[in-house]
Order: sequence, then structure tokens, then C-alpha cells
Amino acid sequence: MKAVVSASAMLPLSGCLVREKKTGAEGWLPRHYDAPGNWPPQVRGRVPIDPANPSIVRADRNCVLCGQCIEVCRRVQTIFGTYKLPVRDDFICVHCGQCALWCPTAAISEADDIARVKQSLKDPSKVVIVQTAPSTRVGIGEEFGLAAGSWAEGKQVAALRRLGFRKVFDTNFAADLTILEESSELIRRLQGASEEPLPQFTSCCPGWVKFVEYYHPELIPHLSTAKSPQQMFGALAKTYYAKKMGMDPASIFSVAIMPCTAKKFEAARPELNSAGRYWGKGPMQDVDAVLTVRELAWMMKEAGLDPASLPEEDYDSVLGEGSGAGLLFGSTGGVMEAAVRTTFHAMTGQKAPAAAFKLTPVRGLVGIKEASLDIPGHGPLRVAVAHGLRNARTVIERVKAGRCGYRFIEVMACPGGCIGGGGMPRSAVPPADDVRTKRIRSLQAGDAAKSLRESHENREVQELYRTFLERPLSPLAHELLHTGYVSRSKHLDVDPRAIAELMPDKTTETEHA
Amino acid sequence: MKQGNAVLVDLTQCIGCGSCAVACKLWNGRPFEQDSPATGTNPVANDANWTTLAQKQIIKEGTPAWRFVKRQCMHCEEPACVAACFAKAMRKTEEGPVIYRPDLCVGCRYCMLACPFETPTYEWMKVLPFVSKCQMCSTRLAEGRAPACTEPCPTGALRFGQREELLTLAREKIGTGKYVDHIYGEKEAGGTSWLYLSDVPFASIGFRTDVVWEPLPNITEHYIRRTPALLLGGAALFMILSRFLQRREAVSAPEEKQHD
Repeated sequence: MKAVVSASAMLPLSGCLVREKKTGAEGWLPRHYDAPGNWPPQVRGRVPIDPANPSIVRADRNCVLCGQCIEVCRRVQTIFGTYKLPVRDDFICVHCGQCALWCPTAAISEADDIARVKQSLKDPSKVVIVQTAPSTRVGIGEEFGLAAGSWAEGKQVAALRRLGFRKVFDTNFAADLTILEESSELIRRLQGASEEPLPQFTSCCPGWVKFVEYYHPELIPHLSTAKSPQQMFGALAKTYYAKKMGMDPASIFSVAIMPCTAKKFEAARPELNSAGRYWGKGPMQDVDAVLTVRELAWMMKEAGLDPASLPEEDYDSVLGEGSGAGLLFGSTGGVMEAAVRTTFHAMTGQKAPAAAFKLTPVRGLVGIKEASLDIPGHGPLRVAVAHGLRNARTVIERVKAGRCGYRFIEVMACPGGCIGGGGMPRSAVPPADDVRTKRIRSLQAGDAAKSLRESHENREVQELYRTFLERPLSPLAHELLHTGYVSRSKHLDVDPRAIAELMPDKTTETEHA
Repeated sequence: MKQGNAVLVDLTQCIGCGSCAVACKLWNGRPFEQDSPATGTNPVANDANWTTLAQKQIIKEGTPAWRFVKRQCMHCEEPACVAACFAKAMRKTEEGPVIYRPDLCVGCRYCMLACPFETPTYEWMKVLPFVSKCQMCSTRLAEGRAPACTEPCPTGALRFGQREELLTLAREKIGTGKYVDHIYGEKEAGGTSWLYLSDVPFASIGFRTDVVWEPLPNITEHYIRRTPALLLGGAALFMILSRFLQRREAVSAPEEKQHD
């Protein structure tokens, strides 16, 4: 008996009695990779993401390789595949975060800064202040089951106070300031008082700015040197506000609630430490942490804060007042509309005509929009608005062809503008135009309902100039509110043919997303 | 040169997205482990990660550059692991993959010692551990499908096909002058089913360049074939010695008694 057992145990070892059987897995792959054959599937793989990307991260365990990130990165933003291989030394990314919105399993999401914010909220030596971007107030409600575009400005302020933020300010304030600086700069260019060329491009969108730095460094002189509202706010919070309140600027922890993942990248740009330079204190980033709307919603849910049971509260003063013009920054065409109101006033001394308070040609979701405003004594001011980087490429081509006569061009990297940003709630996958439209309408209704609708009428901005900055483009304004850009062309080898392929019909002006 | 399925990896086309590593895990049911990433600057090749994708920072023509290197079992034409395995748990199939059968494995780990590419790993953390390695999706290949990792590659850096055709293609590519003149895997260890092309020296991106070109089993065969003779000869020698000693003992025994 014993011999039989040991013999049967030995047989497989000797290779005898080994039955052939299948080796290998019978695993699962998304359906379109699972068919016999070797032809390339229609949708494949995923975009590369730098593990050190300050804006977006990907959880491999959730990735199903559906290729949606490639679709949006390639077709809407024209980034993926528009550079020659082999790669140089960068994962080419403008941090727009559209891939995070399109990702059906949420494998791609924002880099998590909640822990850092929570830690400073607990730190008694820190004064944690917060700013909220225009479009956050029409997005946050969606995370709590409210309809797309629901207005939740006051409730968001209340929630932030209950989360422990010492002062709740509004990025709209800084947006108004941006308009004053940016339109003053535009007027100088229009009057030939500046060496900077025309047309002037907006620079509020960090995704767009990085896009120019990568693909069109020759256009850097065309970019407005004005910082984005987030960074203007950050610089002022640690200088003007700290001075006014008699606070140590190093004790301020400045948080920004943004609809955007690229804002995380922007806040980390090393040159954006004006406050550190102003005080001579070495490196001190103007904005310490950026949270997306989704991250704020997560913090609120964790703390049991439901907008439905929160009161409406107002922003704190000093950096809290915002005009309707500043509010419009959150949607495509909004910066242009705000700029037109103030530029008209600055050039003529008169209030802009009623048309500038509902500048229909630059509203809506058409990919490239144009308008022309007659400024008495100066002639027509031709402007253009583009959203989505594919449309931006078209506008750049038109500018280079030199037949449009644009003077001022607004570009936002995300389709629909910030309200369609990579940090907004994932209300529909892929983000649908009707959600975008509802959010935009909500912002426009907010603007129309305000009595303060022009950036230059903002009293807190006026006080800031009176007591601190003197006037737009003053030396101190330059030091704190303006910045420079760097060419990133050495990090990639642009492939013009691949770009041309992505833009088969250059006359197409509607944005397909 | 033997025919068979193979994959040509064009390292210049890899953008480091890691689709291959995810596809491998999806198909083969490998776990995602937080502390052993399959991608990044320091990926860990273990039983969870049959394929890894390493980011290598190099200097090319005086400027810093990145290359991404996918590593997995090379699937040798004449595998040393198969020769080393006395339990027949390792086998080279006709389709190309070198497969491992845990139900035959005795856990000796000779395959791990034999492999010139240090591919097979061991499930050290398990109570009943096995060896673990890439199977080149042998079940897929048996159905005429490509390995899971090659399918979602968005840039076509991984190309599945017949080895001869891929070698021809690789030579054509080298002819363009954009690559170093070396198809890694054509000759290494007697040839492998995975072939690599690179525009920078293979040694600079972590490839072993000291792997012999002769199939490793051929080298060992020279002396291993003598083991039966050695064993029998040794046995015979010791039998004779034993006999001699016994006899000497028997002869000397009475003499010792007298001295007592």
C-alpha cells in the first residue's frame, strides 16, 4: 500500500501521467479588447500621467483602459499625440483635468490636498483663509443632489465657515482686479504705449498658459502679464491683507476652492511667491493649497454639512466683494464681457452701452466666438473668444494668418470655460453641454441680478488701489499682480502633421465634446 | 532560427502610460499592491507584477531624456528555467510562451537561479508559495490572440507577430538610423520571444548586456550529461574502497586482540 502511494506521488514528478491542461489566466478585459484577432481596437489604452503631477493622479486599480482620457486629451484638447516620439523629458500635460471628468470609473482624479488643508485647519499657529472661484457656487450643489447650475453661493460660504476657515473671501474680488490690470494693459497696447504686441491674450487660465508655453512660446509676449485671479488674491492676502490686519504673513495659510485641476499646478509654480519676495522672507507660495469643488464637497460630506440645512451667509469684507463682471469669469466669454465693460469705461469715461451687459456674441457654447464693439473716438475693438484647446489652435492660426484684426482674445482651456473645469462635479459622463449651459445661465443670472456689474465699480478694489497699489500697472501692482512665462518648447518635439490631422475641418467652429 | 509568436517592443515609441501593466493585471487577475507599484521610477517585479514599466532618466546627446522600459519574462527560445526544472513545471510551448504549471512545481526555485533575466519570482509572503511569472497569455495565444499587454498600447510600441517577421521589421527600423544597431533578444540567451529596439544603448536603460548568446541549456549540457557516469563511477569506486577497508579490518582484527 505504502509503495503504491509513494509511487503515485512520484509519477507526476517524473513527468509521467501529466495531463496536458491549459496554463494561464481566464481573466477579464474590457469587451473591446476581448475579441480574437490582432487588429487595433477603436479605443485603446490611456494617457500617460506623471506620478509627480501636481494636479491629477490615477488609481491603476480602477482603470479599465477604455481610452476616454485619450479621446478628450487628443480630440478636444489636442495634447495627446501631438508631439513626436521618442519623448524628451516630460509627460506633456496642461493639467486641465478633462480626463478626470471623462474617466468613467473615476480612476483619474485630482491630486488630493485635503489632508494638507485639514492639518493647517487644526494648527493653532495658522490663520486659514479661503477664496472661492466664480464657478464653484454653481457647481457645489450638484454634489448634493441639487439640479445642475443650482446657485449655492451663500451656502458654500456657510459651509466653509463651519469647516473652520477663519475668513471666507471671494475670487470674484480678484477677478475684478484682474480686469482692471488686464484692461489697462490692453489699453496701453492699443495706444502703442507698450512694446508688447497685439492682440493680447488672456492669461487667467493656467491650462491655456502652459499650452502656450509648450506649443507657442513665440506668443508669450502676447499673453497678458496679469496674473490669474487666484494668484492675485494669493499675493494680496499675504501682503495687503496681512498688513491691514497686522498679521504675520507667514501665519496665513491661503486656500483656494477652484473648479480646476490646473490651478494646483499654477499655485505650485515657483515664481508665484510675490509675497515672499515682498517681505524678503524667501520662498513662500502665494497660494498654499488648492481644492477642487469635488474635494470641498468631500470635506463637507465628511463633516455632515448638507447645503439644504445651511443658512445663506455673506463673504467677509476686505477681499470679499465681487461684481457681476467678476462672476462671469467662470464661463466662456465671461472674461471678455467683463473686460469690455471696463475697457469701454476706461477709454471713454462713460458707462458701456447696454449691449455690453449682455454681450450675446461671446455668450454660449460655440467653440470660437467673435464680437466687435465700437468705442467712440477709438474705432471698433475686435475680440475673439475660444474655449477648448483645439479651438484655441484655430484662433492662433487665424492670428498668424493676420486677417482677423483681433485686438483681445480670451482663451479658456476647458470646454464651456471654468464651469466645465476638471475639478467640477462629475455630473454627466462625458460632461454634457446641457449641464454646461445650465451652469453658465446660472452665472449670467447672478450677474444680471447684481447692482454692481462693472469691475471698476468694486468698492473694495477701489479701496485697495487708494490705500495700497495706487493705480493699475503701478510699480507695486507690477510686483504683486503681474508675472512672466517660460518657454517649455525644449520638453517636446511638436508634430505639426499630427496636429493638422486633428483639425481636419478648420472652419468648424462648434465644439464637439 | 525558430519560428513562433513574439513581441517587438519599440522603446522609442513608449510614452509610459502603463496600459500594458494594467492590462496584464486585468487579464491575469494579479492584485494591485500599494507598496509594490508596477510602474514608476522604481517598479517592483513580483508575483503581483508580471510586467513592469520603469521610467529611466538618461542623457541623450547632452540633454536629459526619459525612456520607459517594459520588462516581463523574455520567453527564451531555449529556456534555462525549463532545463533546470526537474519537475517539468516549466515548459516552452509551440506557440512561443514559456509557461509555468504550479500543480507540478515542488518549490525548489532552481528556475529562479537559472534564469539569466531574473524573471521568475517567488510568493514569499504566502503560506503555500509558488513560483510566479509572465505566461505570455498562453491561453490567448492558443486562440490566435495577442498577449493582453500588447492590445491596449496606444502608440503601437508593442507589436505582436511572428518572430521572423518581427526581426525583419526590426532590421528595417534599424536601417532608418534612428536606433542602436542591436535587437535585444535576437541572440541573447540563444534568442527570446520578446525583442527590443532602442535608440539609446541597452546598458544605459537597465538591460543586462552580459547575457551569453549561446542557449544556456547547451552550456550546462556539456557537463550535466556526464552526471550519470560520474554517479555510477563514484558508486563503483566507493564499493571497491569499502570492500578493501572491510577486508583490511577482518585481517587485522586478531592481531589487535593479542595486544589487549
